Amino acid sequence: MTFVIPIGPQHPALKEPEFFRFEVKGEEIVNVDIRLGYAHRGIEEALSRRSYEHDVYLVERICGICNVVHTTTYCQAIEQLAGVEPPERAKYIRTLILELERIHSHLLWFGVAAYQIGFNTLFMLAWRDRECVMDLRELISGNRVTSATNTIGGIRRDAKPEHVPTILRGLDELERSTKYHIDLFNSDRTILARCTNVGVLTKNDARKFCAVGPLARASGVDADIRRDDPYAAYDKLSFDVITEREGDVWAKSMVRLREILESIRIARQAIKEMPSGPIRTKVNLEIPRNETIERTEAPRGELFYYALSNGTERPERVRVRTPTYANFASMKLMFVGGTVAEIPIVMWSIDPCFACNDRVALVDSHTGKTRTLTLEELRRWRH
Amino acid sequence: MDAKEVTTLIKDHVDEIKIVNDRCLFATTDKQRYREAMLALKTQDIQHIFTITGVDQGNTVEIIYHFDCCPALLNLKINLPKNDLIIPTITDIFPGATLYERELMEMLGVKVEGHPDPRRLFLPDDWPDGEYPLRKEWRERVK
Repeated sequence: MTFVIPIGPQHPALKEPEFFRFEVKGEEIVNVDIRLGYAHRGIEEALSRRSYEHDVYLVERICGICNVVHTTTYCQAIEQLAGVEPPERAKYIRTLILELERIHSHLLWFGVAAYQIGFNTLFMLAWRDRECVMDLRELISGNRVTSATNTIGGIRRDAKPEHVPTILRGLDELERSTKYHIDLFNSDRTILARCTNVGVLTKNDARKFCAVGPLARASGVDADIRRDDPYAAYDKLSFDVITEREGDVWAKSMVRLREILESIRIARQAIKEMPSGPIRTKVNLEIPRNETIERTEAPRGELFYYALSNGTERPERVRVRTPTYANFASMKLMFVGGTVAEIPIVMWSIDPCFACNDRVALVDSHTGKTRTLTLEELRRWRH
Repeated sequence: MDAKEVTTLIKDHVDEIKIVNDRCLFATTDKQRYREAMLALKTQDIQHIFTITGVDQGNTVEIIYHFDCCPALLNLKINLPKNDLIIPTITDIFPGATLYERELMEMLGVKVEGHPDPRRLFLPDDWPDGEYPLRKEWRERVK
């Protein structure tokens, strides 16, 4: 007989609310069901009700961690609809901020991953190093997280030459600490014991279920939008696409850590080769009927936008497909056959990004059946 | 495959092709031929579907399948009249489309026939039946 373990929507192993229902036989996981939507805010519909300019601020709030990649993708899509090209300098500054965002996101992930395997000291060290990149982001954009840098047709704030030495020093420091983390991940016994051969996704499954980003690259899928369909200034900069073969938690961590080094390399080139000139082109935002797609490589994988204009200053439809959404389809394969103790780290290994809502699951201790309460039932329950 | 190669591959199964550039093209097909187009893609080892977009176009709902043909991105469109919003599933050809089809069902009211798990995805369980939040009628009503 199988036993059901509900995890979520609120659970210590989750950093954001989502519901997972694990069926276990002893220690072994035999099935998993995922319930999404606890953070659904109806943003696609909200985007159609606001003006193009207002939408920049709304897409920025889709994700609290990787907001710059959302605004960049959105702005690039609208620039394509309107048929304008942002100035070269704006493209380089976008690239620089995007890469700093990737470093911050990967370090944040790395810290929580260490915490998930009970390695709290490493969690503190990773988040200490993350402060360095947060300071750089603040220096360039004026804000640690929500930078409000992008606008349709370019960027809003120029990078100052006097900040360059500080940024380069910060990047050196990040390079040193990332190399230390990579050494640690290659040698520490606890890390190797908790991460190797755990939550494996094979290359075939990764391709079949359309996995994206570091998750796919850790399984040996050589895909990166920055190289395959370059945007911003990526076509002028040189960098390697990092892949590993194993597909386990260790490989997923290693891909992200090595990507930080590549991001540092890109950021240095972007600073060095940044052309001077204007940072913004004027765009007429009454865009005639047109449609376009835009894809970028967010820290978690490919981010996809589809936009349709209708001649007014509001979009007819904007479709957003985030990388975590694409990675849910392959999640089940990584859990089944594993053990209960692996759940937190395997779940975190896809770097999931959810947010918040309102229901409860009940488990009948006699039959093991679960039932979800509706909001109405929950209200009655309270009285 | 670039946009030209994709065009050669699917031209018998589609009506109109708009090549935006080497890496992006839009094509329109219909309910009778779309599976043939997808099977043709599959023979070339194309497995990656970015997502499925549903757009309410007034009297019709336009479904757009976005495929990654490495490096070209194919946007395959099908128009369904609102009084006959039924389309067979593509999860047997592209298993990665499972969640996207579930979203299409709940957000636009398109019935995807033969879907292995046609439950709701994002909307709550007590969301009323027949209310589709990305339909224009819904927008007018809750303005």
